[in-house]
Amino acid sequence: MSNSVIEVPPKGGFSFDLCKRNEMLAKKGVNPPSFRKTGTTIVGLVFQDGVILGADTRATEGPIVCDKNCEKIHYMAPNIYCCGAGTAADTEAVTDMVSSQLQLHRYHTGRESRVVTALTLLKRHLFNYQGYVSAALVLGGVDVTGPHLHTIYPHGSTDTLPFATMGSGSLAAMAVFESKYKEGLTRNEGIELVTEAICSGIFNDLGSGSNVDVCVITKGGKEYLRNHLQPNPRTYTNSKGYSFPKKTEVLLTKIIPLKEKVEIIEGGDAMEE
Amino acid sequence: MGDSQYSFSLTTFSPSGKLVQIEHALTAVGSGQTSLGIKAANGVVIATEKKLPSILVDEASVQKIQCLTPNIGVVYSGMGPDFRVLVRKSRKQAEQYHRLYKEPIPVTQLVRETAAVMQEFTQSGGVRPFGVSLLVAGYDDNGPQLYQVDPSGSYFSWKASAMGKNVSNAKTFLEKRYTDDMELDDAVHTAILTLKEGFEGQISGKNIEIGIIGTDKKFRVLTPAEIEDYLAEVE
Repeated sequence: MSNSVIEVPPKGGFSFDLCKRNEMLAKKGVNPPSFRKTGTTIVGLVFQDGVILGADTRATEGPIVCDKNCEKIHYMAPNIYCCGAGTAADTEAVTDMVSSQLQLHRYHTGRESRVVTALTLLKRHLFNYQGYVSAALVLGGVDVTGPHLHTIYPHGSTDTLPFATMGSGSLAAMAVFESKYKEGLTRNEGIELVTEAICSGIFNDLGSGSNVDVCVITKGGKEYLRNHLQPNPRTYTNSKGYSFPKKTEVLLTKIIPLKEKVEIIEGGDAMEE
Repeated sequence: MGDSQYSFSLTTFSPSGKLVQIEHALTAVGSGQTSLGIKAANGVVIATEKKLPSILVDEASVQKIQCLTPNIGVVYSGMGPDFRVLVRKSRKQAEQYHRLYKEPIPVTQLVRETAAVMQEFTQSGGVRPFGVSLLVAGYDDNGPQLYQVDPSGSYFSWKASAMGKNVSNAKTFLEKRYTDDMELDDAVHTAILTLKEGFEGQISGKNIEIGIIGTDKKFRVLTPAEIEDYLAEVE
């Protein structure tokens, strides 16, 4: 057993002991590294046969685009997918963890996972961390009780909706949904509407960009359309490649090898003081 | 016997160097229903008797063969409730491995971790060893594999093995019938014949359970109808 006093946070939750130190450092000009946020436009809608989820593919680190084609639609169960906005590490870790828990649950019950199960596991976890796990999620899937679509906020509150948007581009995408959504959309109409909403986020929001990912979930199965639309291709690349101007000319090369003189003395006395 | 004076405590060796509680656990396994496993060239089959205490028991609710991961299945001989606890722990370990390494757990790793759990219960205070021996069947990158795990926590890889009541007859039968280049279907037939050897009463799709895994790497338990088909082929 150790005798030292170890600061262990109570079961679950964060330990905020270093906040004062961080504040002091920030005042002196030493800022913590900025973390990768997904910025993001993520959407979901319910159509006649199931649920369609959509997301952009830009990941930002402050003002820099750090990933031009990241995957924001995460696997939860064969019939449930989740889009994540907020801090990329948080969304990935939380969806990974709940996906693992759902798999164990499936083994124990012998049944397909339900969307509300994933919803409750996620919201309980996020509420436990009081909003410090910065993950805003759009969860969608089809189970025995039908198609479901939910949004989950970082603090743990949830909404159940026929169409939903999250992320920095959510207002742009919601504008599209509010004007064009109707019940009983067909698969192609649904995909078109989702794509339009994501494009609206891509073009009007700085935090979103690059390509459109779409995931269609129905009772029969799922279709993950990675890079369904690529409205931002790199068009102005020089096909001949780039040639850079020559540096200073080399006039003379002279190499002088350094010879090391090592004398090996056999025997001899031990080292003297 | 001098041993009996040391049989009260699990964590005390007897003068002959044995842990008597583990011997007793193996006896519990030996009086359990027969189960067996056969490793074929292109898959593994595990099977067990499913003798229910009364005809009133709903046999569809009893599942002796369980899936640990999509490509690993397990069957037991011995105490059912102990088996359930081990299955639960193993599934969790497999899932944790997957979360950490993002690869499906190899069969040897899962067997090792399950065996470690069983060994823990032979070296702790206030607990007793598990009264089950497991036959773990899996198919991963190293091909089809069959492992037996004992209450002591020791495990062995087998080409074919049997446990439970009829173990000596079953093993003799398997030794005679086993060939290295068996196909999965042949292995299923052999498994059925071996079970039939020591079966009391009429064998049918409802009182045996068979699980197979083939090159598709998907473990599944056969339905009673499928078992009846195999039985008909064997007749």
